[in-house]
Amino acid sequence: MAVYLLRRFAQAVITVFAVISLAFLLGRLTGSPAASLLPETASAADIAALNHELGFDKPPLTQYLDYLTGILSGDFGDSYQQTGTSSMSLVLQRLPASLQLGVTGFAIGLALAFAVVLVIHLSGRWSLRGVALGLGAARLAVPDFLFGLLLVLVFSVTLGWLPSLAGADPLAIVMPAVTIATAQFVVYSRLLDNSLVAESSQDYVRTAYARGERRSSVLLRDVLPNALLPVLTISGITLGTLLGGLVIVENVFAWPGLGQLMLDAVFNRDFPVVQSGLVVIATIFVIVNFGIDVLYGVIDPRARVR
Amino acid sequence: MIRPRQHATIAGVAMILAVVLFSLLYPLFPGYDPYAQHLASAFTRPFTDGHYPLGTDSLGRDLASRLALAGRITLGLVLVIVVVNALIGMAIGTVSGYFRGVTDNVLMGVADVQLAVPMTLVIMAVSAIRGPSTVLMATILGVTFWVGYARVARSVALGLSGRDFVIAPKLLGARSGWVMREHVVGHVTAPVLILATADLGNVLIMISSFDYLGLGVQPPTPSWGLMITDGQKYLRQAPYLTIVPAVALLLVIGGTLLASRRFTDEGQGLRRVRRARRGALAKEVAA
Repeated sequence: MAVYLLRRFAQAVITVFAVISLAFLLGRLTGSPAASLLPETASAADIAALNHELGFDKPPLTQYLDYLTGILSGDFGDSYQQTGTSSMSLVLQRLPASLQLGVTGFAIGLALAFAVVLVIHLSGRWSLRGVALGLGAARLAVPDFLFGLLLVLVFSVTLGWLPSLAGADPLAIVMPAVTIATAQFVVYSRLLDNSLVAESSQDYVRTAYARGERRSSVLLRDVLPNALLPVLTISGITLGTLLGGLVIVENVFAWPGLGQLMLDAVFNRDFPVVQSGLVVIATIFVIVNFGIDVLYGVIDPRARVR
Repeated sequence: MIRPRQHATIAGVAMILAVVLFSLLYPLFPGYDPYAQHLASAFTRPFTDGHYPLGTDSLGRDLASRLALAGRITLGLVLVIVVVNALIGMAIGTVSGYFRGVTDNVLMGVADVQLAVPMTLVIMAVSAIRGPSTVLMATILGVTFWVGYARVARSVALGLSGRDFVIAPKLLGARSGWVMREHVVGHVTAPVLILATADLGNVLIMISSFDYLGLGVQPPTPSWGLMITDGQKYLRQAPYLTIVPAVALLLVIGGTLLASRRFTDEGQGLRRVRRARRGALAKEVAA
């Protein structure tokens, strides 16, 4: 197990390094930002001065090494717009709000998906399954931003029950969280249902029923642990859709999170902020996937040998 | 004779066709002008004024005209992106399944990495440098959405790689490229086309989301996503500004989902289990 963990950890570190290098490539090798940051009337000397200040006149390899040593000492570069403010500190300020929304929405969606799918499979009411999957398909047909706006239209404009924008009201999290939770519910209810159905046709399940075991014990003790493996595998991949969805939902509801900060930075051409945001998101991505690998090793002994 | 399962397909195709025909034919009407501003008649509600059948926006521009132009732009982008990705995926998947071994491992490894990268973040990063634009969004989506097609093409090609009609020309000395073109690609096309139909809705969702965020089509050119961004500002006073483009968007997405339903996995898992049980039972009886 220790070797398995060590290998996974090494892979995680390499991934983060790759993302950091990619962020550099995107930021530096596509040209100097001076032309887009300065007003159009700026002289060639002004541009050269800014290039020198930002270090863009050095050879690329030197720039890359400077960048890496900067990161190792915790310096991700200052924001272009708010000069003197570290871009990473801006990002970290916004991170808690994003985590709060993302984790709440994800947890509700995941819990609901497991509850609904398990109840359906335990009770054997396949008509309910049609209803649940049908509702899921309907939710899937509505883009996240539109679903959020429709919620606002119904619950704040028409009924006036909930605040439409983020603010002091603690109820403000309800609609963005519901938008994310329903999207996650669709993903995980389908995954788990597919996985349970596929696993149920295995020989060992028939044998268990032939021994006269009850449905609940077969399902929960024999089938569920096996069915969890594919769900776990794919959850590492679908994390990306959660993060992408977060950017959209934060912008619909003016939620003061990382996604909104990064989008504003895009429009202000404030690349260091986008870059720091990417590094933070990639790190979260890698940590979560490392956690999934560890869980995988715990659930499935075979994974430890591979 | 129409079987019950075809009703969904027909309804889906009808929904898509309604929106497509509207987008293509509305410009033939005399009142068509998506850019002219009539400030005096701004915020006209839908179905209240003969000049503006679907009403006007905050600048008094005809909503029906904008909807039709936005439809042609948005749906055109969707089509181009799906076709390009299907072609890329088909090529990569066919090569991967045909050669197997190292080539397969490398190509599918790239596909796995690709799948884990959230497109929203990539487009944001590149837009931060280049400035957001339609071309940028279309280019990025055009070359990063092929994994599904590659997997389908690969599984078909993999299944064919041991068949006589693939092995025989190889033994006669035919080049791999020729064998793939003549004997493999034809079998790959049908499943790729099915997946492409199902994908139209997904790509439409992505494009509209980027448009909505301001990372795609740039004003004053209209797109459905941008029209909704505009409408959101007046959600209280003029909710129809949001609802009109939303209806067009939902009709097309819902239509592709319905139309492709019988090809996709929806509801087939259970049937597979029942069939497997019946099969197992039959085998036991036979034994």
